[in-house]
Amino acid sequence: MEAEKLLVMQNIQKSFNDVQVLKSVDLDINVGEVHALMGENGAGKSTLIKILTGVYPKDGGKIIYLGKEREINSRKDAANLGIGVIYQDFSLIPTLSVVQNIMLGKEKNKFGFLESKKMEQHVINLIKEYGFDINPHAIVETLSIAKRQTVEILKALCEESSLIIMDEPTASLSAKESESLFEIINRLRDKGVSILYISHRLEEVFRLADRLTVLRDGRKEAVVEKGEINPPDVIRLMIGKQLSEATASNALKKSTNEVVLKLENLCKKGLFNNVSFEVHKGEILGIGGLVGAGRTEVLRCIYGADPYDSGNIVFEGEPLPNVVNKTIQKGFGLIPEDRRNQGFVPLLSIEKNIVLTNFDKTSKNGVMNAKKEKKLGQEAVKDLDIRPNNPLIPVGNLSGGNQQKAVLGKWLCRDLKVLLIDEPTAGIDIGAKDEIYKIIENLAKDGVAVILVSSDLQELLRVSTRIVVMRKGKVFKEFASGRITQEDILMAASGIQEKEA
Amino acid sequence: MVKRENKKKLNANFQKPLILLIVIIILTILQPSVFLTIDNFKGIMLSISIYGIMVCGTIFPILLGGIDLSVGATAAVSGACVVLTIIRFNYSTTGVILGILVGLAVGVGTGVIHGMIVANFKVPAFLITLATQNIIYGIAQLLTNNQVISCMKPKLFTFLGGGRLLGVPFSIYILIIIVITSYFVLNHTRLGRNIYAVGGNSEASDLSGINSKKIQLIAYAISGFTAALAGIVLASMNQQAIAKAAQGYENDVLTAIVVGGTSLMGGEGSLLGAVWGALLVGMIGNGLRLMGIPSTYHGVVKGIVIIIAVSADAYTRYKNSGLSKGKSTKRFARRANVENN
Repeated sequence: MEAEKLLVMQNIQKSFNDVQVLKSVDLDINVGEVHALMGENGAGKSTLIKILTGVYPKDGGKIIYLGKEREINSRKDAANLGIGVIYQDFSLIPTLSVVQNIMLGKEKNKFGFLESKKMEQHVINLIKEYGFDINPHAIVETLSIAKRQTVEILKALCEESSLIIMDEPTASLSAKESESLFEIINRLRDKGVSILYISHRLEEVFRLADRLTVLRDGRKEAVVEKGEINPPDVIRLMIGKQLSEATASNALKKSTNEVVLKLENLCKKGLFNNVSFEVHKGEILGIGGLVGAGRTEVLRCIYGADPYDSGNIVFEGEPLPNVVNKTIQKGFGLIPEDRRNQGFVPLLSIEKNIVLTNFDKTSKNGVMNAKKEKKLGQEAVKDLDIRPNNPLIPVGNLSGGNQQKAVLGKWLCRDLKVLLIDEPTAGIDIGAKDEIYKIIENLAKDGVAVILVSSDLQELLRVSTRIVVMRKGKVFKEFASGRITQEDILMAASGIQEKEA
Repeated sequence: MVKRENKKKLNANFQKPLILLIVIIILTILQPSVFLTIDNFKGIMLSISIYGIMVCGTIFPILLGGIDLSVGATAAVSGACVVLTIIRFNYSTTGVILGILVGLAVGVGTGVIHGMIVANFKVPAFLITLATQNIIYGIAQLLTNNQVISCMKPKLFTFLGGGRLLGVPFSIYILIIIVITSYFVLNHTRLGRNIYAVGGNSEASDLSGINSKKIQLIAYAISGFTAALAGIVLASMNQQAIAKAAQGYENDVLTAIVVGGTSLMGGEGSLLGAVWGALLVGMIGNGLRLMGIPSTYHGVVKGIVIIIAVSADAYTRYKNSGLSKGKSTKRFARRANVENN
């Protein structure tokens, strides 16, 4: 039986600055199916979605929607065709009610007066038709994230979307909320709406999707029907067997150095549970796992940026205070997840940013010593090879890689004992990545205990000397011997215990 | 690229003195015999000395992205405190010293309260200081019983605002000392560095071990201190305390700071720029008076000058920063993050 095609994308190509992100991607979606799009970071999923929704123009290829070839040049074109997107950062206006948000830009009026009753009725009918559980008069900012997502979905339905794209919709939902989202998705499918579902969480994808398309390295790798294939095979498709072996980890080992930092049953309600691990001097402990597994949260609690509920953090045999300033004094450093918002002050120069964590060295009784400041700045620029090599340039004007080096510079001149690193190379080009890895490795050689959180599997495998994988707020698995591959980490992150040797 | 940036910076550095020079030349041509005299310059300095002192402190919360609208009212209360204390202590030296201490303490106290509310309850500083402006003004009315309380002695008191040293009004010395101190604090101390850091990115500052709440508290306390000092000098200059003494001064203070290129978003700006702004505003007022333009028109002219200065500054900054480019980079960064997730 040939299903009716809603969308066919053929041979889609796209380059950015001579880098071909999409080499040749095909995607077809049937009417009334949940279609999953899978692929590693950088496989081209997001770019493909942006072409489909008119954010980027495509360089080549065809888009056929409902049997006709279409040009999609803007968000509006996509919406007119019936393509709705549920964004991760919601596009709702927090101070307006559910009805007002849904009808925004589509207000019904008579002689310039709003027909509130009519609009209300329209939305209520929609809510009834799809069986949603939401109060149409609630103000959006009072709603939970899950409910806001429902409003987004309603908004898309109100635009009579026949295809709704969901990009990591469960990333910030609780397990219960995810369940009700799945119910909604199933109902939408029953009503003939197609869903393009993007998620890293394999178990969700396997539960929901009727078919799935795997992208790898800007190409369509495979299209798989439900029930045809099992999770480990999909992981293999995503990574590619050869590549996976080529980028196997270092020989992992348990360090025999003394334990510097020890976490004992650390708990924080709703975020992580009974997290315990040890970090030895001079080792690089990689923490793998999906976004939302609780990795960043654990790191922030160690550093003292957030409080935790129970458990102990022991540093060199003593309990570690939960205050940023004190952990810094004890030799801790943090390279935060969100470089731009947490890592540096964009308007300040490289020199002044580096001074931020080094007032104990550059000031006396509160008065700055300009010579010492200058020296710190110059040393950092030279040691880290920050370009342009002028310590007086505002960090906000540097490229991503050089910004990150400046953030590293804040810590390198200190007597570091433990460096906590969160997604160090997100959005950074390959050359700078290598330099940053070398810096991290040299720190470990000098005896610093490094904890590295990364969603970039190649990075995790390349840099770590031992790896733990967190899943749903718990330490799920530890890899402390032999060589492992991306596959091993992905399986652990998805909760799959090894089935084959 | 570095070169181009330096050039831009050079232009920006020259821009301010250049505008000042143009204003001086225009006013000199219009009023050749009067404007460019030492006496007139002293007059200008005297006229800006009161709000100039305030500028040096109020720039601290503004650099944090906050604001302090209560400085005029605070000045009035401090002035009243000094005058009342002096009268209570029978015009003695002890009375003067005690009065000054009480006045300054009131200013610092007000600032600490502002800082605590802003830092802990995350209320916009605009709202808080707008509210306290009313409260403090009310207190000033209560203290003075809504009357003019004159206080023409002792000499120690009247000298602050009315005395002369080497032919120059003493209040100008106070202004200069405060400018130098504020400049030093902002540019050469740990506190100054922290102010710019917290104003530029408070989250990154917190993660660098800076206590941004404490910094906010100190910044508002400094603003309260300078407001109080200005109020004391003003009371001495007028030899009286009156609730309306410094009403509307907050406008001149904010004008000077903003015209001087300090961003209301925080993290960017300089004391020298603000002092330049104060000079510019003072000179324009002075020029208008010299030309015999009725004071009813001064507000209009000042307002127009401010609009021109601020728009020109904002526009050049927009062009130099490539903000439109910046915006798309930011969007890109967010998208990149989505992809990475």
